[in-house]
Amino acid sequence: MGDKKESPVRPLIVLGAVSVISAFLLTWVYISTSTKIEWQRGEAINSSLASVLPQAKRFEKIETVDVWVGYDGENKKVGIAFTCAPRGYGGPIGILCGVDLEKKVTGIRIASAAEGLKETPGLGAKVREADFRQQFIGKERDEIRLKSEGGKIAAITGATISSKAVTEAVREGITRYEEFLR
Amino acid sequence: MIRRRPSRLKYLLDGIILENPILILMIGLCPALATSLTARDGLGMGVAASFVIITSNIIISLIRKIVPDNVRIPVFIIIISTFVTIVDYTLQAYQPALYQALGVFVPLIVVNCIVLGRAEAFAYRHGVFDSFLDGLGKGLGFTLILFVMGTAREFLAGGTFFSKSVGIEFLQKNGILFMIFPPGGFLLIGLLKALVNKYVKLE
Repeated sequence: MGDKKESPVRPLIVLGAVSVISAFLLTWVYISTSTKIEWQRGEAINSSLASVLPQAKRFEKIETVDVWVGYDGENKKVGIAFTCAPRGYGGPIGILCGVDLEKKVTGIRIASAAEGLKETPGLGAKVREADFRQQFIGKERDEIRLKSEGGKIAAITGATISSKAVTEAVREGITRYEEFLR
Repeated sequence: MIRRRPSRLKYLLDGIILENPILILMIGLCPALATSLTARDGLGMGVAASFVIITSNIIISLIRKIVPDNVRIPVFIIIISTFVTIVDYTLQAYQPALYQALGVFVPLIVVNCIVLGRAEAFAYRHGVFDSFLDGLGKGLGFTLILFVMGTAREFLAGGTFFSKSVGIEFLQKNGILFMIFPPGGFLLIGLLKALVNKYVKLE
């Protein structure tokens, strides 16, 4: 600052030096966090899978579709978990659903707003709440319909579209991925 | 500078009240509205931004004598974005849930007016320790408002604090959902500003 006779290359050198130092620093930060970040991503998937199919100790992804097969400690197949994304009221509803070998639902998990859920908070977004989700556990495929349609799932008041989207998608998913349960 | 040198404590305290970035300087409003949905988000965003303000203030102040005037802005931006990227990776690695919730607002700290504003208006003209205090003060002021807003919005919308119930069943059942939508944020920031205008006398 204040120097009247600035050399024309000095700005270049300073800018270049700052960039190079920054690049080295970021490379180091990237290397030291990347394994942890990868691990966190894997962990996020695994903990969601475990939450919908608690009997399973280990999961294997089916390559062609979004289905994971769960195995217990003795390597016996105990069920599957699949994802689906039916159209709700505001956009797709991301669902992860676990099903055991008797084709009964073991648990479902629904993406949060931060994960892209567009349902109205307080109405459609209530599909995430335990009260709604618990209803699916232990139900067979044909019981998974809204009560108004002869099933056993009570729709959320004021959010029939979201409730129906989840219910239908879970039932259809079980039908679609039945083959992996054998 | 001929002006009498203000006490160092003033650098620190100014950021919290008399020069609070959000309520007095009225900068950094966008992240303040968008990331104050819950107490955790507000606090997380505040801490992340404070880290960037403090570290970039220190580095810029350290190298201020060798950085020529005509390239100072690009140099500031490189330094700021370096620290933002460090925050980004660190959050991804150690606070994935918070990272998900803050979303695009973490990388957007790069263009947060508070950070570049402090670099240009303060760190480029002051010593390292003063710049550190200034950054700390502005960071605390920003964090404080985000935390207050996040706490209020989370509480009014669902009767919780850090996602834990505070035992007011009425609010849990009849939360004012409006508060977690953007208008709720505007309303709250307006109310806070009104309070400040009433009680804080500016010279």
